[in-house]
Amino acid sequence: MTAVDDVNDAPALVSLTLSFRPQATQIGPLRTLLADLCKPHVADADGLSRLLLAAHELLENIVKYSVGEVAEFHLRLEAKATGLLVRLRTKNRAAPERMADARWRLDALAAARDPIAHYDELIRESAGQRDVSGLGLARIPAESEMALFYATEQDWLILTAEGKASERVSQ
Amino acid sequence: MSELHLTAVGGEGFQVTPTLVDFNLRLVFTGSGDMNATAVVHEYLKLVHEEALRIGLSQVSCDFKQLTFMNSSCFKSFVVWIDTVKNSEIRYQIAFLTNPNLPWQRRSLEALRRLAANLVTIETIA
Repeated sequence: MTAVDDVNDAPALVSLTLSFRPQATQIGPLRTLLADLCKPHVADADGLSRLLLAAHELLENIVKYSVGEVAEFHLRLEAKATGLLVRLRTKNRAAPERMADARWRLDALAAARDPIAHYDELIRESAGQRDVSGLGLARIPAESEMALFYATEQDWLILTAEGKASERVSQ
Repeated sequence: MSELHLTAVGGEGFQVTPTLVDFNLRLVFTGSGDMNATAVVHEYLKLVHEEALRIGLSQVSCDFKQLTFMNSSCFKSFVVWIDTVKNSEIRYQIAFLTNPNLPWQRRSLEALRRLAANLVTIETIA
């Protein structure tokens, strides 16, 4: 695993890019690292909790579904006049069937007017589908209050979650 | 009253411990409900439902005071459990006891309450 500063962007409070072979055992330590990096800057516990939830679901998504050896995770925390903005991004290669499923889910999410109502609907539907979760990505806008976008480059899936981590920055 | 046939489960990083008082079953969750806990939670909640029907429980309380996180797969196991109780001829109440210092809990559990508002309650414990 390598960690480097993202030097191409404007100055940020935290900017972290990881390029690694994703494994389930890494998620807990990564959450702890992200919490340690962001906690000094995020003024409220709810904001940090939302950020970590989104990061966790994105990390699990690449652990579960990436093919190939390397995946990427990026975090950027930036102070703006309107508050503390966070951007999380993952990039991983995906099998064709997974790519199709992800596109279908993310397009439905983008089309939903109300992310919480959409999440509730998915929860009701998933209750009868015992072997499939399918809730992880929808949980991000519903519970983290972040916008979720995706892009594809051949067999690479790029997910970006963006939102306000806090109204104010810790002094 | 019948003896409880459930035992504590889990390992390093995640545990569930049951206690039966009268007809109320209390499940104390500790640690992080992540990918390593998913199968444990899924199977355990099936057993909880079987026990609830066997004993005739009136309520199951899930104490999340020491549960630091729950991923979407563990969350899904609670969705399935609640849906099972909702569609069961014999029903019991499900209470979630939350830690106010862990804000994700209220956000996540509100979604479960909306799934079955007549079965699920959320309480904050100090």
